[in-house]
Amino acid sequence: MSKHVTEWLSAYADGELRGSRLQHVKTHLAECEVCQMELESLDRLSGLLQEVPVPGFIPSERFAAQVSLRLPHPKRATSSKRVLEIGWWMIPVGLLASWVFINVSFLMRDVLSVANNFGLLTSVSDGILFVTANPANWSATLGQIGVLNGTTLDLASAMERFARTSLPQITLQISVAFLYLSWIAIWWARDRRQEHGQLLEG
Amino acid sequence: MESFTAARVTTANETDLIAWAKSGDRNAFSELVCIQAEGVRNVIYRMCGDVQIAEDAAQETFIQAWLHLASYRPGTSLRNWLYRIAVNAATDMLRKEKRILPGALEDLPLQDPQPGPEAHFSREERRALIQKAVLSLPEACRAVLVLREYEGLSYHEIADALDIPVGTVMSRLNYARKLLREQLEQKLSLQVEAEYV
Repeated sequence: MSKHVTEWLSAYADGELRGSRLQHVKTHLAECEVCQMELESLDRLSGLLQEVPVPGFIPSERFAAQVSLRLPHPKRATSSKRVLEIGWWMIPVGLLASWVFINVSFLMRDVLSVANNFGLLTSVSDGILFVTANPANWSATLGQIGVLNGTTLDLASAMERFARTSLPQITLQISVAFLYLSWIAIWWARDRRQEHGQLLEG
Repeated sequence: MESFTAARVTTANETDLIAWAKSGDRNAFSELVCIQAEGVRNVIYRMCGDVQIAEDAAQETFIQAWLHLASYRPGTSLRNWLYRIAVNAATDMLRKEKRILPGALEDLPLQDPQPGPEAHFSREERRALIQKAVLSLPEACRAVLVLREYEGLSYHEIADALDIPVGTVMSRLNYARKLLREQLEQKLSLQVEAEYV
């Protein structure tokens, strides 16, 4: 006799077995009294469960009327919510515009600086070119008073030039990129939460 | 969307009613409630064993269904979708209403004058005993058992309604029946005289 088929008897009793599994259980049942009794026990259990009647609920029509009274009206987005939503979608647009503005500004500064070096912009405001006009103010001063000299002066000048010209651009670009990535992360999290909420409700 | 007339609603099939309800037609939705009310209330009652809780949780089920009708996928079974919400509503309600949870099952009217296989129970006592046994099952197993035994859903339909694999349906059902037999076989002569070789 093959191994007992106890674990499949529930599914067999429910008519959920198909194919070779069904055939195997049938064959086993034909020759195994233990499994036959187990199956009978399951049938009796099912019969017992049906002994508990459902109570008398209120008529379905009345129930439906009660539900209907409690049905909320479809929500309409309030104007403030709509403004917030528009604002939310304007954030990446704003960040993109900032990035373009930063790059154009620095490009313009470089162009003006080159033009100034060639003496083409003698009347341009010093305010625009104050950084590039003398990109190594502090190191030059320290060199003049003898604190820095030779290699250290060159190194300090290079560092100061880098800090005055490239560092602001890099910092601003990293900041914009960081803000943009943060927005994407929040958008993704919000999207996932909505999807999860729908699944739970569904 | 109140323009839909009651006559139009009563002659419509479920697919039409769902489509109208989705577009905001409350009459169409009420008709769907009428059609599905009995099944939903039965499931919840079998889950919690209390008529009032069943009525309240069923109302909550339909309100949730109304609010989230947009997430219902056309072509799938509305009944199964509602049963899923109903099981969740019943579970939530049971957690709020501690009085029906297994700890309070002793409140069910049941006396056992002669414990053991020879005990004789009145019909009411038998029913109370069976109901008590069902209500003492873990919620996940109880939901599967209720949908199978009382609503006659197939394993695939249960899997769809509860969003679990068919294998899990099978194992939970096996476990629920095993627990029930352990509880009931002594008192209700369900004894299996099987002796495994």
